Amino acid sequence: MANININGREVELDEDGFMVDPEQWTDDCAVYFAPGEGINELTEDHWKVIRYLRDYYKQFQIAPMIRKLCKETGCSLKYIYELFPTGPAKGSCKLAGLPKPTGCV
Amino acid sequence: MSYFIMQILPYITLVVFTFGVLFRLGRWAGSRIVHNITLAPFPQRNSQVLGIFAAEVIFFRSLFSSDRPLWAGAWLMHMALFGAIGGHLVGIYFLGKQFVYLGMSEHLSEQMSALLGTSAGLALLAGLVYLLIRRLTVQKVKEVTGTSDYLQLVLLLAIVVVGNIMRLFEHDLGIAYAPAKDYVAHLLMLKPLPMDHLAITTPFFVLHLLFVQILLMVFPFSKLMHVFGMFANRWIINRVYKDPASGLPNVDIAAARQAGIGVPSGEGGV
Amino acid sequence: MPKYKDMVQPARASEKEMKKLHIDLTPDDQKCEKALQYLDEMRKKFRSFVTAMESCVKCGACAENCHTYLGTKDPNNIPTNRAELIRKIYKRYFTLEGRWFGKLVGAEDISLDVIEEWYSYFYQCSECRRCARSCPFGIDTCEVTFVGRQILHWLGITPRLHANTGGAMENTGNHMNLPRPGIVDTLEFLADDILDEFGVEVNFPVDKPDSDIIYIPSSADFALNPYTLMGAGLFFTYIGANWTIPSKVTEAGNFGFLFDQRFTQRHNVMRLLDAAQELGAKKIVWGECGHGWRAAKMYVPTMADRPVHWPITHIHDEVAHYIRTNQLKLDPSRNDHPTTLHDPCNYARACDLQENLRTVVKACVSDFREMTPNKDWTFCCGGGSGILFDDPEMYQRRIQLSAKKAELVRATGVGANGNGYLCAPCSICKAQLYPMVEEHNLGVEVKGLIDLVGKALVF
Repeated sequence: MANININGREVELDEDGFMVDPEQWTDDCAVYFAPGEGINELTEDHWKVIRYLRDYYKQFQIAPMIRKLCKETGCSLKYIYELFPTGPAKGSCKLAGLPKPTGCV
Repeated sequence: MSYFIMQILPYITLVVFTFGVLFRLGRWAGSRIVHNITLAPFPQRNSQVLGIFAAEVIFFRSLFSSDRPLWAGAWLMHMALFGAIGGHLVGIYFLGKQFVYLGMSEHLSEQMSALLGTSAGLALLAGLVYLLIRRLTVQKVKEVTGTSDYLQLVLLLAIVVVGNIMRLFEHDLGIAYAPAKDYVAHLLMLKPLPMDHLAITTPFFVLHLLFVQILLMVFPFSKLMHVFGMFANRWIINRVYKDPASGLPNVDIAAARQAGIGVPSGEGGV
Repeated sequence: MPKYKDMVQPARASEKEMKKLHIDLTPDDQKCEKALQYLDEMRKKFRSFVTAMESCVKCGACAENCHTYLGTKDPNNIPTNRAELIRKIYKRYFTLEGRWFGKLVGAEDISLDVIEEWYSYFYQCSECRRCARSCPFGIDTCEVTFVGRQILHWLGITPRLHANTGGAMENTGNHMNLPRPGIVDTLEFLADDILDEFGVEVNFPVDKPDSDIIYIPSSADFALNPYTLMGAGLFFTYIGANWTIPSKVTEAGNFGFLFDQRFTQRHNVMRLLDAAQELGAKKIVWGECGHGWRAAKMYVPTMADRPVHWPITHIHDEVAHYIRTNQLKLDPSRNDHPTTLHDPCNYARACDLQENLRTVVKACVSDFREMTPNKDWTFCCGGGSGILFDDPEMYQRRIQLSAKKAELVRATGVGANGNGYLCAPCSICKAQLYPMVEEHNLGVEVKGLIDLVGKALVF
């Protein structure tokens, strides 16, 4: 575990660098995590995916099925991988402050 | 020394071997088969289980599929070993005249016995040398081999080489069936042997027996336990398993299709 | 990233994460003593472990039958050498020859280094049992890995992936921490998709009382494998079954089987039995998950703390049954891609689910090509036993571990035109193969088998 400082706020991360408490998330967190996941600049589409993940998580306490993510944001799976090179499970969840998925992913 | 090896050590060997093996098997028996770890394809009847055991013991079937070059050497070695051990029992008991019962003359039977014994001995030697060379040259086998693996092979080789020398130079260095049988009889009856008995004065015979006894004493405390381990392992992983019957409760597909379940009303099927 | 004296190791769970699994970390100065105590307990219990310790002749037949050794060429990944990591300790403390002759027979004192070796190598083993199949004596080295991982877990050494998955199991009854509302939402979403794509009305009942059948899907299907869930829904709808998915245990897998059989695995078995009783089920049907099917079919009877009244069958046993009795109308031309079948190890070797898979796949695709070796000689995908670690070094290792499978897939030629299907009816296989078919450039798409059934069913 490690605490980092993102724009003056203390944020707790787990060993994989995911946020321990999704409630601590702010837009700044996504900006902070982006370079580590191979993203140079957060575009409108990045934010669309991140916001959808956050909304879904708030409602259901899980990340949505990837097919649903694609459908609801209008992004193909291929495009999602272009946006988040480390993949939807790892990259986009990390930026959105969701916990790292467990199980067979 | 010879006297000790031939007259006293055998009893010690017998005790060490017997109690050693019983101790090991007792430990195996003390642990349990906790979960069902039967290996597919599942046998459906005990006769099929027996078939698996037989195919593994007689033909080394799994090894045949998994490592053909090893199978060739290992199978030759073990079959020759079974032959040699069987030959010792039969040949010494019948003094080489066992084939008389198959209609041969006594002389021919003795010659046959000698021929078979020599062949088994040489095949055994060839198998062991093959396995030793394999241990020394094949990378993956070198990587799994420890000191004791080499030592046991060398010990087996020593037994077989001495045995073969006695076989091939029977008149100069070996021993005939009769004194050997006499020796065994004395051992079994707990009767001391005269000091000038051929069994004690034939150096190679003494050496042969010494090596064999070392092997038997090492047996319970080494990988030689694989003889029993094979049966113990297969007893765990090859057992009858019957699947529950398939077919789902209260399912009538014909009726379901007739009712058009899943087909949106007003549309045809796809 | 984690490495210990040149050995790769998966990232390990923290003290807090282990506490969720009711395990306290063992301090370094007590680890050796405790490890011996646990080893002593295991050897007295499991005969399969004892005979593996005491009857190996080190012939080396297992070496090239292990995809891990083939992919890494690390001598410690030869199954017998992997077992030797424990055997050398076993010999030293629990056998006469080890106590008296030590090094000569390969015995060694326990040390923290040895325990770290266990952690590295027992989590490179896929527990696929190809070594048991190839061993002339049938020594099951998987049993040694089980024991090694259980001891490590009790010492507090468990990969984060496994520990957190185990934690999720206790939390929600599934690997992915899916709460009931999330399950229902995903299934409703899929029902809409099925109507759009197949024109079929499928209803996914969740926790419906008085259901004849409870269907246990893999939770990974809710994230990654939509067509697997859709296929199962289409099948149950087609046959008009009275079925439901229990939210109490929406998990065909059981990661406990892979690192903590004593508690984590057992716990989910009871959840399953509770769910079956509550919903009034007559039969339990299992979804696509390899290790989970082994844990269900072979371990539930000996894990359960009560009589098990429900027959448990695999969905493909049932599909095959209805195909053999000519009750399903299937159109193989709807799956007109060159298709090969990857036999998941746990289906093929541990559960004897071989022929039924073929009955199903042949009825559902128009161009089926067998892979060799297959069935009980199948090679693992390289992800077996959940070693789906994603930190960079372990990910590189996964590519090596899947190399053998990639070679076999390529040899079938299904991907030659870039439009092949690699049917892998197991969630771990899918999670491993989705990226691996890209890494190895195989020209195939990974599919579940019930996915293909769903597409081929003619309503």
